Amino acid sequence: MATGTYYLPQGHEVDIFMRAASKRLPVLIKGPTGCGKTRFVHHMADTLGRSIHTVACHDDLTATDLVGRHLIGAGGTYWQDGPLTRAVREGGICYLDEVVEARKDTTVVLHPLSDYRRVLPIERTGELIEAHEDFMLVISYNPGYQNIMKGLKASTRQRFIGLNLDYPDEPNEVAIVCQESGIDREIAERLVKLGNDLRRLKDLALEESASTRLLVYTAMMIRDGLGERQACLSCLAEPLTDDTETLVAIRRLIEAHFE
Amino acid sequence: MEEFVGRLWHRFVTRATPCGYEAAGVELDEVKPALSAYHRALGGASAQQIMTAWHRPIERKRGRAKRLPGLRRKHMLSWQDEQGLYLPPKIAYYPEKELNESLYFWLAALSTQVMVVEHWLIDNLKASATLLQRYPGLRNPYQELVTATIDMAASQIHLSDRDRGTGLIELLSRPEYGPDRPFDINQPVAIPLWLYPAPRREVCAEVIDDLAQQDATSGKLIRLPNVRRQAFRVDDRRKTDGLLVFKMDSLFSRAEQVNVDRLQDDTMDDDCHSAAHDLDIISLSRQRRAGGSNVRFDLDLPSPQYDDLPVGDGIKLREWDYKKQRFRPAYCLLQPMVEDRAEPSALPSHLREPARHLIRQFSSLDLNKTSKNRQPQGEEIDLDHWLATTTDPEQSPDPDRYYKSRGARARNLACLLLADLSLSTDTPLDGDQRIIDVIRDALLLFAEALNRTRDRLAIYGFSSVRNKQVRYHVLKNFAEPHTDQTRGRIMAIRPGFYTRLGAAIRQSCDVLKLQSAEQRLLLIVSDGKPNDIDHYEGRYGIEDTRHAVVEAKQRGIVPFCITVDTDGNSYLPYLFGNNGYALVQDATRLPSLLPQLYIRLTSANRHFQ
Repeated sequence: MATGTYYLPQGHEVDIFMRAASKRLPVLIKGPTGCGKTRFVHHMADTLGRSIHTVACHDDLTATDLVGRHLIGAGGTYWQDGPLTRAVREGGICYLDEVVEARKDTTVVLHPLSDYRRVLPIERTGELIEAHEDFMLVISYNPGYQNIMKGLKASTRQRFIGLNLDYPDEPNEVAIVCQESGIDREIAERLVKLGNDLRRLKDLALEESASTRLLVYTAMMIRDGLGERQACLSCLAEPLTDDTETLVAIRRLIEAHFE
Repeated sequence: MEEFVGRLWHRFVTRATPCGYEAAGVELDEVKPALSAYHRALGGASAQQIMTAWHRPIERKRGRAKRLPGLRRKHMLSWQDEQGLYLPPKIAYYPEKELNESLYFWLAALSTQVMVVEHWLIDNLKASATLLQRYPGLRNPYQELVTATIDMAASQIHLSDRDRGTGLIELLSRPEYGPDRPFDINQPVAIPLWLYPAPRREVCAEVIDDLAQQDATSGKLIRLPNVRRQAFRVDDRRKTDGLLVFKMDSLFSRAEQVNVDRLQDDTMDDDCHSAAHDLDIISLSRQRRAGGSNVRFDLDLPSPQYDDLPVGDGIKLREWDYKKQRFRPAYCLLQPMVEDRAEPSALPSHLREPARHLIRQFSSLDLNKTSKNRQPQGEEIDLDHWLATTTDPEQSPDPDRYYKSRGARARNLACLLLADLSLSTDTPLDGDQRIIDVIRDALLLFAEALNRTRDRLAIYGFSSVRNKQVRYHVLKNFAEPHTDQTRGRIMAIRPGFYTRLGAAIRQSCDVLKLQSAEQRLLLIVSDGKPNDIDHYEGRYGIEDTRHAVVEAKQRGIVPFCITVDTDGNSYLPYLFGNNGYALVQDATRLPSLLPQLYIRLTSANRHFQ
């Protein structure tokens, strides 16, 4: 369980999450990559004093991976709970990160858990587990990161309380960068300004924006003694694009921000 | 003798002007993509494009040398308006290449700090000061540029007025102080580091040019090499203009005999491009020459008996007005139309072979491969199933299926193909084909290919005549099967009118939303920017289209544009995003590329670009 996770609220998300938790409602978090979705969930788990079971979803993730499977041990086969089943039994937050990446049929196992029933039927063992009172289902995805074939079914979406996170506003982001990296406020301010400039290139020259996470990484490298321009090039420009022309523009931009 | 004196004279008076460093020069085209991204990152308006500036005169008090005849100097200034940022086609002011390149980036950065330059000095000083204050990293490059500029221009500035030159140097070095002493600020000086007020437009805005584009079949367009010309619209609508209405004997004149060989200059058709090359300002007249065969007009809509059958009373759609930053509700009247006279038709013979090939390809294609468990054979062992069968043999439905295999999975996809049928598609390509012919073939082949998949397809075409009639042609709707009837309708498409893309996208989204599909794809086949003969052109059209695209995305529809416009890279990223469009350089390949693109778009692999 994570302890003392730092999170600076952007709006009412903490309040909404607390209310959803008290009413045992599942939560859906949308937001661009690196804006603090995972951090927020960890922070809320700390605040609520619940354990967290995180699953990073991928293309081949199946319901079995979530629910559990039989394994072969020394004494024959035995049943191994998946992360979802474990959270349902023991209580805690089950966090499915980038849920749209998982195969479509996977999300269907979430349905009986995310409505009034709050149960998890396990076909293999014939069990019907009633969710622990502290169990909470949280899923997240990045809406700007979709292929036409990837999406969340309306029938799944409509079972969740939706929270839309975005990159924090400037003063908050400066505070976050300072807190996470221990860098001077003045440099953090310049980094955040640079980040906001880069975000204007989203969909024009860049597929993804410069995330708060990248800004924090950059700040950590600067704090460790790497030159400002070099840190920005390595931590911001290079991870964002391979395109030579765009790299030239970003390099110029970095030079404009840092002497 | 005259020529010799002329050459001497020219050499003498141009000595004072700064010479360029051609070898260290940087061309705009080299840096344009990076410059464009830089400009946008610093907050420049996304719809603004980086464009090539042209030489324009600058009114100012000139020194003795400049008052000599033959030297009304024009300067390569930079400026911006709402359409674009105009920068010199080449910068070779400084001996170092880095400095010349740096100047481009400085101008792009400066333009983000001042939207409208009203005063050549005050606005530039203010913008420079703000920029340097916001971006401390620009201070050093700026000072280097200033030093180089002063070196370059020293003779020029000092020639006219030493004090004034000194004043300017101080201002350039420290823009944040502003003009703090009496300074003649109304005599502009051309400084490469600054942006100048945009040239005044002489075009009467309220006059709508009802003339259609010239029929391009009359001759190939000749593109002048990388040079732009200033346009000047002549108000020649009054027929009496240009006539002498006073008595001839009151006209004082002096006749001279000049030996000019006008034989070649008089061949207007052939020589207009060389004339265009020589002119600085091209005057646009509304009076066309009598060569009616060269000019094609569409003065009005076709008469009802020759037009497609309108379906219903039309649909009112809103339009985004970027100037007011709000929608104009129910502003466009979209008229769905069906070509009711189109004869059912088989696939044309020249498309049969490509269609067969495509059908084979689409039939064998696993559009959405995914691994299947519990298969009698496959690439991997299904360990889970083996365990399940071992632990509980009675509950297991498929006892002998212990493999995983990768196979196709049924998907639920609706695709609406929206084709631009505006008059610009009448443009000829190489050979006998026009763009519309290529679009027609592409639609036919695409429909044939998709007919073999379980994906649902509808095909619509559109054109527009102002906001009063956005013509939305139904070629194949979602409900009807692809038959000779729909083929006949596709065969009957013809170019006409303009491209009000925003309205067509909005209506297509409404149609797509009625489909109960998991994925909805809106494919747009286009040949150019959105435009219409009213205000729907340039930034207005682009901003409205962008809004329509954003609305589509918000509604869960994936818009994707396929264009044959070679300039598409300049505006399509803003409309559809970097991964939201494909540019087909060779339009004749569109029919074969469109189905391939569809496969890439809809395959399970996310990185389809």
